[in-house]
Amino acid sequence: MKNMAVICTCILLFLGGGLFAQEENELTEITTRLNELKPGKSRFMMRGYAHSGLEIYENSSSFVGGSFNPIFLWQQSERLLFEGELEVELEDGQTVVGLEYANISYILSKAAILRVGRFLLPFGIFGDRLHPRWINRLPTNPLGFTHDAQVGPTTDMGVELRGGMPMGTGKINYSLYIVNGPTLNEGMVDAEEGGQLHYANYNDNNKNKAVGGRLGILPLNNSSVEIGFSGQRGKVGDTDSEYADVSATMLAVDFSMVKNLTALNSVLDVKAQWNQVSVSDASYISPEDPTGTTEYTFENKSNAWFARAALKPAYVDNAVLKNIEFTGRYSRMTLAEGAAWATDQTQITFGFNYWLDWRTVIKFAYQINDTAAESDHGEGGGRTTGLTGGGAEEAAGGHGEPSGNAFFVHWSIGF
Amino acid sequence: MKALKISGSILGLIFGISLLTAAGCATKGVQPEKLGAQLWGENCVRCHNAPNPQAFSDAQWETATMHMRVRASLTADETEKIVAFLKMAN
Repeated sequence: MKNMAVICTCILLFLGGGLFAQEENELTEITTRLNELKPGKSRFMMRGYAHSGLEIYENSSSFVGGSFNPIFLWQQSERLLFEGELEVELEDGQTVVGLEYANISYILSKAAILRVGRFLLPFGIFGDRLHPRWINRLPTNPLGFTHDAQVGPTTDMGVELRGGMPMGTGKINYSLYIVNGPTLNEGMVDAEEGGQLHYANYNDNNKNKAVGGRLGILPLNNSSVEIGFSGQRGKVGDTDSEYADVSATMLAVDFSMVKNLTALNSVLDVKAQWNQVSVSDASYISPEDPTGTTEYTFENKSNAWFARAALKPAYVDNAVLKNIEFTGRYSRMTLAEGAAWATDQTQITFGFNYWLDWRTVIKFAYQINDTAAESDHGEGGGRTTGLTGGGAEEAAGGHGEPSGNAFFVHWSIGF
Repeated sequence: MKALKISGSILGLIFGISLLTAAGCATKGVQPEKLGAQLWGENCVRCHNAPNPQAFSDAQWETATMHMRVRASLTADETEKIVAFLKMAN
């Protein structure tokens, strides 16, 4: 009996020791795995957005888009960040990949960040902050804020100093930058385009650099209102051409307000921006003269502006209604009166969005376009400067694409 | 042309003075006293819906908020408090 007790004790000790050793091994394994998952100080993250949709015009309809924009973030340290965005889209039956921006930011101090590379210019707020499809509350961009019919710059290559800081009970943000700047189309290839500016150039056409900046003022303690003032100036002509001294001065004013309307249990979001681009006086080849010897000139000043409002009853006690957002936008673009490419367009867009979650939205919108050609050199009523920036921009007319009023159903997702 | 130069110069002058004034007047004010949750709600909605804290991991939030500090010009204090809130709430 005594021997049995000793044997049982030994067995129990053996089994217990085995279990303890097993637990210790499991703990070691879990610790090893956790250590492997530690993020480290260098971190990679991919974000971005995608969109697609259906667009219905008077005489045609089409599924469009199918584009996505991956944003690659590489945080090298607590001070150094790389960001790069690609735009991958279908265009004329082919997959087109474009580089939106690629830059490195270095945090110099609490109120100063140095950024170098190709970056979104803080010329107003639309290009810098509001253009991503899941952030833009409407399926289309405002007139003058598309890739191919720009009034004012959106991206460029250069160096920038930016930051934000508290000021009193509010705060300010600022940006100062030096970039290549836009280039002047001298009209040598296509006389009808003489005087237009080309933005987002990879190479400069002269030694002069464009200097610009933006000052944003948020006067209220809750950051609900922001007023911004932007400017950029630089030479745009080729160094060795007769346009060497032609320069462009650009100004923008933007406004942003997000306010809780307690009476309506809603959030009101208002955004507005006005851009003006003035190119100094120059003469261009008249498109009406087939010999190319006659010149003409015009006041090369273009304007574009928009005002957009969105009302979301986010605080109502209804699961469906609280995800609906009512939107409306008015935009207008006036291009260089007297130029062969002059146009005066207005656009009204209104509709509603349904938010599936905070970054996934289905947009329904109806857009009314009104185009009036102003030029004596143009091709007649309805001529525009080609808004082919892909998908919805076509609705504004240009390059033979459907124009006039249109109905859109788009979905967008941010990730 | 002359008018453009003058207006450009005035704009630059105003911009420069505003920056210098702003830098000189920069005080802690009320802004740094706010909690991260409040700053998250106030600042994110200036451009887009406020993100769900559970959308990303702690490490991802650090990168994402650094990105937003650059893109949206958040102040350093705002960024620190927002990322602390998001890491706590996810």
